Amino acid sequence: MKSRVISLYSAMLNTHYGLSAGKYYYIKKKQRLWEPLVIVASMGWLLVLAVWFAWMLTEQLFLGGLAFGQPHLALISGTLIVSVLGLFFGFFNVLSTFYFSNDLSILLAWPLRSWEILLAKLGVIVTGQYILNALFLLPIGIRYGLLARVGVGYVVSAFVVFLVLPVIPLVIASALSVVLMRLVNLSRYRDKLTLIGGILLLVIVFGGTYWLQQNVGTDDPSVLLEQLLSQADGLVKAVGRVFPPSVWAAQAMAYAHTSQGWINLLYLVASSALGLIVLYVLGEKVFLQGVIAGLEGSRGGKRRKKVVLEHVERGAFLTLLSTERKLFVRDPNFALNGLIGYVLLPVMALLPLFGQNLEGNPFEQLNFGEMDPLLVMGGISLFFMVMIAMSMIPSTTFSREGRYLWIVRTLPLSIGQIIRPRVAAAQVVNTVGCVLGLLPLSYLFGWGVLEVGFGIVFGLLLSSVVAYLLVILDLSRPMLNWINPIKAVKSNFNSIVGMFGTMVIAFLLGALFFLNARTATLWLIPLELLLVTGILGGLAWFLTRNVAPKLWAKI
Amino acid sequence: MIRLQGVSKRYKGASTYAVRDLDLEVRPGEIFGFLGPNGAGKTTTIKMIVGLLKADQGKVLVNGHDLTLDPIAAKRSMGYVPDKPDLYPRLTGLEYLNLIGDVYGVDGPTRSKRLAHYLEMFQLTEAVGDLIQSFSRGMQQKLALTGALLHAPALFILDEPMVGLDPKSSHLFKEIMREHVKQGNTVFFSTHVLEVAEQLCNRVGIIKQGELIACGTMEELRTGRDRDGSSLEKLFLELTDEGGSYEE
Ligand SMILES: Nc1ncnc2c1ncn2[C@@H]1O[C@H](COP(=O)(O)OP(=O)(O)O)[C@@H](O)[C@H]1O
Ligand SMILES: [Mg+2]
Repeated sequence: MKSRVISLYSAMLNTHYGLSAGKYYYIKKKQRLWEPLVIVASMGWLLVLAVWFAWMLTEQLFLGGLAFGQPHLALISGTLIVSVLGLFFGFFNVLSTFYFSNDLSILLAWPLRSWEILLAKLGVIVTGQYILNALFLLPIGIRYGLLARVGVGYVVSAFVVFLVLPVIPLVIASALSVVLMRLVNLSRYRDKLTLIGGILLLVIVFGGTYWLQQNVGTDDPSVLLEQLLSQADGLVKAVGRVFPPSVWAAQAMAYAHTSQGWINLLYLVASSALGLIVLYVLGEKVFLQGVIAGLEGSRGGKRRKKVVLEHVERGAFLTLLSTERKLFVRDPNFALNGLIGYVLLPVMALLPLFGQNLEGNPFEQLNFGEMDPLLVMGGISLFFMVMIAMSMIPSTTFSREGRYLWIVRTLPLSIGQIIRPRVAAAQVVNTVGCVLGLLPLSYLFGWGVLEVGFGIVFGLLLSSVVAYLLVILDLSRPMLNWINPIKAVKSNFNSIVGMFGTMVIAFLLGALFFLNARTATLWLIPLELLLVTGILGGLAWFLTRNVAPKLWAKI
Repeated sequence: MIRLQGVSKRYKGASTYAVRDLDLEVRPGEIFGFLGPNGAGKTTTIKMIVGLLKADQGKVLVNGHDLTLDPIAAKRSMGYVPDKPDLYPRLTGLEYLNLIGDVYGVDGPTRSKRLAHYLEMFQLTEAVGDLIQSFSRGMQQKLALTGALLHAPALFILDEPMVGLDPKSSHLFKEIMREHVKQGNTVFFSTHVLEVAEQLCNRVGIIKQGELIACGTMEELRTGRDRDGSSLEKLFLELTDEGGSYEE
């Protein structure tokens, strides 16, 4: 007999990643076989990119670090990157598995012990983290191992490090989400606080960087890093102060053959074990008890405000726009999945700064600070376009309606009147998200107001027509028969196709810009942006007039 | 008000028609009851009238507008309450009602007056500021009804409106239907309970296995025979409590 925890775990893993649904369609019914092909193609592409990136980074950092006696700089960067990523994904995963999932009320009614539920749920989260870690750590570990000509000790300690590394970020993420939910639950402004919490996390990260700079006494990152590097062990200490486990992990691997290595490994394992206990207590005392308390009715003692039947009269466009935005932001299943990109991308862009000013640093070649303004502008436009697809707001707009679609379908509106506010709502969220991420980057790299401003304008145009096409894509085959809302975004094929298609356009445009840079024809970039916007806009216009009405009548 | 001409619908993959060659006329100013046992094709017919389903064959006219040629004009003259009131759980009741008011262009003073009237009647005035997900099923049904009446539609369509309502609410619903007709409008509703139709309707149509087998006033039907000549008595038995064959 399979253990209850294991079968619970595999059932949850199934629903979390839509495995059963996939198996049913692709293997059993042999239907829609081209879908997995596209998924594999787009995922494979990302995979190759990530592995290649980690491989090259390791090489550069190894050589750079060797110059001042810190060859394991690559390992520190790797463990730090996966820890930060783990922190972010952990935060969102904990929120969606423990606070926003609707299966807890069912599970609690079954004859299961609370630790069994907890273990299975944490197992699902940790599985995701292992996959993510493997993506980065394996190539880094292997490349480093080859470069440093390591022995068996390295392999053993690397294996242990890999196993325990996700624990501590997960503990921190859980603690953060507990704090956040406590705050949110106390307040009347739940929706807003959930959003603010996400942004707060961003601020914490930036604040951390700032604090680091203050502590060393300068706010110029290049001077800061020079200072750090000029001192022996400087960078290691700096990182160690922010997040010690990543240094322990790196040193455990690098000095695997010495007692120093074993001590570091011991630190890491011991602190992770402690973390596991904290995690268990949090889970038992806070998550499950909290859910039980929540089931008794969240309105509890709160007094209801007297409702005034007041309203602002608005046109159909504005009211549909605000409804679409509210419905997206208020459902954590939609919001967490859609908005995570806006937080994650700028942070990931900032991370490599840790390695700047090293000899032969690959990022030096990119040299964001001294990029041509036209190139910056083009890049920002592409950023807007890619992010609107990543947000999944336009590409799942009808799917997210699910069984509520009858409301819109019985309204006396043309399909054009229904599409436009949806594009606008996606654009509102996208603009806020992109600008929030863009501001710190622009400040850091010293980009001018003009190039950023024009980048935003072109980005708005380009992302609007792309959003239009994505809405029509979702209209053509909406996924309406979900029960768990997370299905409408996560297992929705339209969002994947939309992202992939947009990436391809971004990739082509990016290649074009690169060509422009090579041939000194950067002035062409605005024209190219306008041209692509025009072509895609024409396509959107044509489809709305001639195809969308038929699709709408057919649903 | 409603005119169906030779309307048929077969669901994708189904072997039989859900609705077959249906002719039906609902006259302005009447309460029309659409009667039939579970699975007879009532919901399918209503969905074709309100534009949620496309008829395979035949014509659907509402207020003179063809539903395939001019759906927007047709929809503008209707208010619809579905059998399952699935309303956006993450909007508040008031947000939902204002969405409807804005889309149908109901002006401010009129909107306030109608909202106050219906919400008071349904005792929803307190709860209307809460998220719909905290509403009970009956409350959601009342909210859907309020939304459907907000633009005072010439044609009011309800799919099995009495299911799941307490006696007081179902009395209210009946009152509202009568009131709506008194103001010169038309009401079309489906039910599987004969009693409800008897109390309310000027005329009824009876549908079974997708085909209209009788149509007329209660009196005409009681004494009459259906299309293939057999007595309607057996069918009526199915549709009344005493028949014992209906659930809910
Ligand atoms: N979405 C659907 N797909 C396939 N068959 C359906 C669907 N909805 C209803 N049916 C079938 O159509 C027939 C009529 O159903 P319905 O109109 O819902 O009946 P009623 O509302 O009178 O109870 C039934 O046989 C039912 O099984
Ligand atoms: Mg029905």
